[in-house]
Amino acid sequence: METLLQQVINGLSLGSVYALIAVGYSLVYSILLFSNFAHGGFLVIGGYICYYTLAAVGNNIWIASLLALLGAGVSAVVVERVAYKPIRERTNVTLYLLIASMGMSIVIENIFVVTVGGRFRALPPVIPTNPVNVFGMATTSAFDILSLVMAIVFLSGLQLFLSKTKWGLAIRAASYDLRTAGLMGVNVNKLISIVFFVAGLLAAVGGIFLSVRYTLYPQLGLITIKAFVAAVIGGLGSLPGAVVGSLILGLAEMLTAGFISSQMRDIVVFGLLVLTLLWRPTGLFGKHVAEKI
Amino acid sequence: MADIILKLNNLNKHFGGVHAVQDISFTLERGELAGLIGPNGAGKTTVFNLITGVYSPDSGQILYKGEDIASRKTYEIVAKGIARTFQNLRLFPRSTALENVMTACQQHFRYNFFEAISHLGRWNSHERKIREMSLDLLDRVNLLPVAEQAAGTLPYGHQRRLEIARALALQPELLLLDEPAAGMNPEEVHVLNELIRKIHRDFNLTTLVIEHHMEVIMEICPHIICMNFGALIAEGDPDHIQKNPEILKAYLGEEVED
Amino acid sequence: MSGYLEGIIILICINSIAAMGVSLLTGFTGIFTLGHAGYMAIGAYTAAILTVRHHVPWLVAVLAAGTLAMIIAYMIGVPTLKLMGDYFAIASIGLGETIRLILENWQSFTRGARGFPGISNFTTLPVAAGFFLAMLILMRFLINGNYGRAFKACRDDFVAASLLGFKTAHYRVLSLAISGFYCGIAGGLMAGFLTYLQPVMFDMQKSTELTAVVVFGGLGSLSGSIIGTVVIGVVTEVFRPISQYRMLIYGAIMVIIMVARPEGIMGQHEIGPKLARSLFARKPANERDGNHG
Repeated sequence: METLLQQVINGLSLGSVYALIAVGYSLVYSILLFSNFAHGGFLVIGGYICYYTLAAVGNNIWIASLLALLGAGVSAVVVERVAYKPIRERTNVTLYLLIASMGMSIVIENIFVVTVGGRFRALPPVIPTNPVNVFGMATTSAFDILSLVMAIVFLSGLQLFLSKTKWGLAIRAASYDLRTAGLMGVNVNKLISIVFFVAGLLAAVGGIFLSVRYTLYPQLGLITIKAFVAAVIGGLGSLPGAVVGSLILGLAEMLTAGFISSQMRDIVVFGLLVLTLLWRPTGLFGKHVAEKI
Repeated sequence: MADIILKLNNLNKHFGGVHAVQDISFTLERGELAGLIGPNGAGKTTVFNLITGVYSPDSGQILYKGEDIASRKTYEIVAKGIARTFQNLRLFPRSTALENVMTACQQHFRYNFFEAISHLGRWNSHERKIREMSLDLLDRVNLLPVAEQAAGTLPYGHQRRLEIARALALQPELLLLDEPAAGMNPEEVHVLNELIRKIHRDFNLTTLVIEHHMEVIMEICPHIICMNFGALIAEGDPDHIQKNPEILKAYLGEEVED
Repeated sequence: MSGYLEGIIILICINSIAAMGVSLLTGFTGIFTLGHAGYMAIGAYTAAILTVRHHVPWLVAVLAAGTLAMIIAYMIGVPTLKLMGDYFAIASIGLGETIRLILENWQSFTRGARGFPGISNFTTLPVAAGFFLAMLILMRFLINGNYGRAFKACRDDFVAASLLGFKTAHYRVLSLAISGFYCGIAGGLMAGFLTYLQPVMFDMQKSTELTAVVVFGGLGSLSGSIIGTVVIGVVTEVFRPISQYRMLIYGAIMVIIMVARPEGIMGQHEIGPKLARSLFARKPANERDGNHG
């Protein structure tokens, strides 16, 4: 029973980190209707900026995080402007964007391989990992609780942004129909940049926590595949779906690792993906775009 | 006893809260050239989609040559002899005009997988026939000069004619044309009228045409069916339709004084 | 001919066969896949196990490899090909990874990540070239006829295709099955060339490479896919001394091609008399103002 509670908390913590990544990815999907496979790159950029800033400013996690978030956000905007904007202005074939995003993901990963090397780097222990007793029933680490809390904070922030600000409203409108939003006077290019900035920022938060949890290396971005799976389970394009999907995935992973085996973790993840696609491809809350024939 | 090729019985279709097709019933006799008119959103294309199996009706029957095809799959319905063109043009833009027609034509000159990968057996003779018949159809719609041009690069009027040629390649008995004159100027419309009349005659077809251009319908369709808001509001010959106040109200939205 | 050069040519022949399969699926049927290395893996391990453990003659083993991959592709295809666009691509990632993970974890059967050694070197240059030519001719014949037109119809407009009487689901599954066969054969030949297998050789990077060469070469051009394979094969060898930059360059090329020339090297043209004519002939007067839509 104790292990169960333990794994549930672990699962929720992992899931909340996935949620930060999956939400950013779903946000981009809801506006541009394509899967940005380079999303993992933003995560890695955030991780590395944090790592190097920590080394430079003496382990002040606040400054390092701030820079990492800003840096990742800006990188995301740059990636969009350089790689995606020219394509989407010319054609509405999302396949080309998809492939370009694959290319960008490889580019970002390998820029780090080439410049700082592929070895694993541990972040200095700036995020507390001491054990914490939960209601006297189980022990978990402060890290897990913190990542859960941080995820809630940022996702609530996102929710506020989307529901209370002007640009948030524009983004919600654009997620229904980008073209019409543009015709209604929204500056589409600026909107897309803002969306990518937010996505990059959220990915960086996830990246920092993942770096602490798993150590930092250029291929860390591959974890984004799990965020994709989460987003699909929740429904591509749906933000609450991405959160729910991520929690489900985190729980599934941790419960499998705890009670079956660690190797089966990934198989369960992909198994869930395939099952979702077979049983209910639009996921739990996904949008289904019907075509007029 | 006239040979009835298509009979719709109390056909109904809802999309969410919208009752797109309400209790539609009409009959087409073999060899007719009929028109289906009505304002935008009246449900005309939905009727075509129901007949061709793109949607299945909520209730009602679609009797084609006596058989109810309402729940059949599209490819089965097409194989039984119904072909259509589309409001928004659905050509294969990257293929040539000839290839577009050949794709439809091959349905009647089939050969199997092993003949396909070996180019043996019926491959040669059938490919030749497919090609010949397709070229002939292009000729009939006056598109032979552009046979090798990519369909997406053709002028709009040519594309519309190409879609008709492609539908004819299926050797249908019932041809459904969805707004074939959309976007055409009066001269092009006149040419189209002649084309529709000609193919209706030469290919022995029953043809149902959706159109907004009244010049097309009034001139070539002896039997006209009018819909509005999903329901059938009038049916008859051009004279009857022109004088029908319901129809004028549907289009113009106001009471008409005699 | 030096052994080194021979090896490169053999590798290019093998990769071309896989590329032809992916070309049929993605270029001609319009189904984007990121998991076809999985079918190569199935083919490779099938051939390896049959020849090493059961002393099956290599030719039979390679054909069995292709057949098994084809059957598995078919079984996967029936339920998943209902998915359109991005969804199938994501599913294919999941499936490719699942196959790799199963191979890695089924230690008793495949020796897992430790690797499977001792395969006889049956893929000599005549064998590779022979298979390459045979598979190429079969594919070319298939595409230049009723099946080719059907696949292209499903790709360009599946609604119109079904309204021309095509069972689009049937053609999509057939296309996937054939592409599985081709990748299976390529995998089997790969086993006989490398004489040693590891599941990691067939990871997402390999899958991405297969799709990338088809896109580079031009979606809808068989000769383009082969040219793409040759180019990547040569570039890989040329850049081997600086292999850490190789991936970076490779990713950059992907992005650049999508931005600058998404139709790829050959567009949808094939090498042959038609292309020569269109390149060198003068345009007749009435085509002068041909409008490109």
